[in-house]
Amino acid sequence: MIEVKDLTFSYGKDRQALHGLNFAVGDGEIFGFLGPNGSGKSTTQKILTGILKGHGGTVSLFGSDIRAAHTREFFQKIGVLFEFPYLYANLSVLDNLRYFASFYPQDQLRDAEELLDELEFKPDFLKKPVSSYSKGMRQRASMARALISNPKLLFLDEPTSGLDPAGAVLFRQIIENERKKGTTVFLTTHNMLDADLLCDRVAFLSNGTLVALDTPGNLKEQNRNHSIVIEYLYQGKRAEQTIAAPELRAGIPFAYDEIIRIHSQEPTLEDIFLRYTGRRLS
Amino acid sequence: MRHFRSLLKKDIRLLVSGKFFLMSLGCLILYTLYVNFGYLRFVNAQLYNVYLYDPVGTQAAVSELMQRVSSAEELDMALREDTNGVGIDAGTGTVRILMYEGTEHADRHRADYALSLLRPAEHGAAETIGSNTPEQKARKEITCELLFFEITAVGFLGMASVLFKEKSMGIIRVHAILPLQKNLFVLSKLVIFLLSDLLFAVLLSSLNAGLPDTIALLPAILLQTTFLSLIMALAGLICSLLLKDFRQFTLAYLVLAVFVATPVFLSANTAVKLDWIRFHPFYHLYMGLKHAYFQTSTPGPSYCLGCAAAIASLFAAVQVLFLREMRKEI
Repeated sequence: MIEVKDLTFSYGKDRQALHGLNFAVGDGEIFGFLGPNGSGKSTTQKILTGILKGHGGTVSLFGSDIRAAHTREFFQKIGVLFEFPYLYANLSVLDNLRYFASFYPQDQLRDAEELLDELEFKPDFLKKPVSSYSKGMRQRASMARALISNPKLLFLDEPTSGLDPAGAVLFRQIIENERKKGTTVFLTTHNMLDADLLCDRVAFLSNGTLVALDTPGNLKEQNRNHSIVIEYLYQGKRAEQTIAAPELRAGIPFAYDEIIRIHSQEPTLEDIFLRYTGRRLS
Repeated sequence: MRHFRSLLKKDIRLLVSGKFFLMSLGCLILYTLYVNFGYLRFVNAQLYNVYLYDPVGTQAAVSELMQRVSSAEELDMALREDTNGVGIDAGTGTVRILMYEGTEHADRHRADYALSLLRPAEHGAAETIGSNTPEQKARKEITCELLFFEITAVGFLGMASVLFKEKSMGIIRVHAILPLQKNLFVLSKLVIFLLSDLLFAVLLSSLNAGLPDTIALLPAILLQTTFLSLIMALAGLICSLLLKDFRQFTLAYLVLAVFVATPVFLSANTAVKLDWIRFHPFYHLYMGLKHAYFQTSTPGPSYCLGCAAAIASLFAAVQVLFLREMRKEI
């Protein structure tokens, strides 16, 4: 679906934003693109969505070079959820969706009300102006805008931002459903939980360079330190010891009266990101 | 065509919610009331009051506009209260003109005017040229000025307010990823503002310059309105795309209004002649509109080509700035 080779981009002569990125995203894959602010995530996404021109290297989407792909047909196949919910504040969600839907072929469109129902949008607000919506409702309306045209390739920038935990779970479910339909998802996020739960593969970007690219499982496996922390009671006192995992095969190698907790030391994606880049995501 | 219709519908809704059409209607009513109940009375009023003190009646054939006073004290009192007025003291048998000093040129005019009222028979009526009555002339003059003001000020600000609203909502960025010909976004706004300005020109001219005259002048007025409307709308778009917020825009507009429009009005409507004014594009646009109202000359091909080239260049600049705006991080 997406193939990027030696992608470079610079803003002016001395501000190189991307230094030769290489990655590919397969059909129906959820691909996580992670990096701190200023790492080049937005620049990459803008190039992929056809907003930014003048890049070096080759980028192809849907099998064609992006330089030739900026046609109406190309934009009909993509859906983009921006980091902020950009909507006409004076119009209702339904009017917003009708307006944006009017630029796509009729037979490609989803039913706006059904879509909003799926996104658990409060029915009372369907005809009220967007200016009266909460942050979560705006995010739902914005997601509906991105999905209304049934895109084959979906770019999502911080999809669960502004949502409560239940809303975040719902959004993850909706993204999962999109994948099941065969939609390819390019997910840009700071949220490691989203990346961990949703992505087939994640790429870590730091200062315009890809520093790691693999499945979340493989990244964790490669960065595991194979140690186990055991919390226990012995002679009325609470204590904790860290042992190497193979040591556990022969049983617990120290005296104890009661085991309270055993933790395997699997790193989180955040830990792995820090290890690769020396920087935290947020 | 479906895309363009959607954009038009959306822009109209934005303008309605921003009360733009209501404001234009309010301006139309206000201008019409001003022309019919204010301006025409003002231009018909006497320039200066002239007071005559003639106790023995030496001046027999004076104009009816002359105001007689019965004593030298009363003449003195009248001039103290009306410092623009002119007094004629004929109490000693010879005519003495009295007035508070103003400016050299105006004082000569005041004195000549007072003498012309004293001996109206000696000042034969000047031969008038042109077919307009004084009222028609005054009506056309003020209608032309108001239309120029409306398009350069209200239309310009209206366009900017719409675009700033869309900029603040971040919505321009969304249009970058829509399957839409990007220049339609700008084109729909231009069409709405042009149609709105043309309708305003028809109504303002019909209500204030008179319907029969307007029908005859309409093609020329509409052509000039089209040029001015498109140039101002595009200039408004450029300013709103370049400047950060509406506050900055209004400051820029003040500069434009004071330093750009003032010399045009001065040169076109007063005896002030500025050598460099021929290089001022708005002077030519204003004179084009004035010629349309007075049918004094028809726009030549070079003028029309100049306007078309200006519109095309501004449109190209708007496109570049609009694409830059779409790529921006908000």
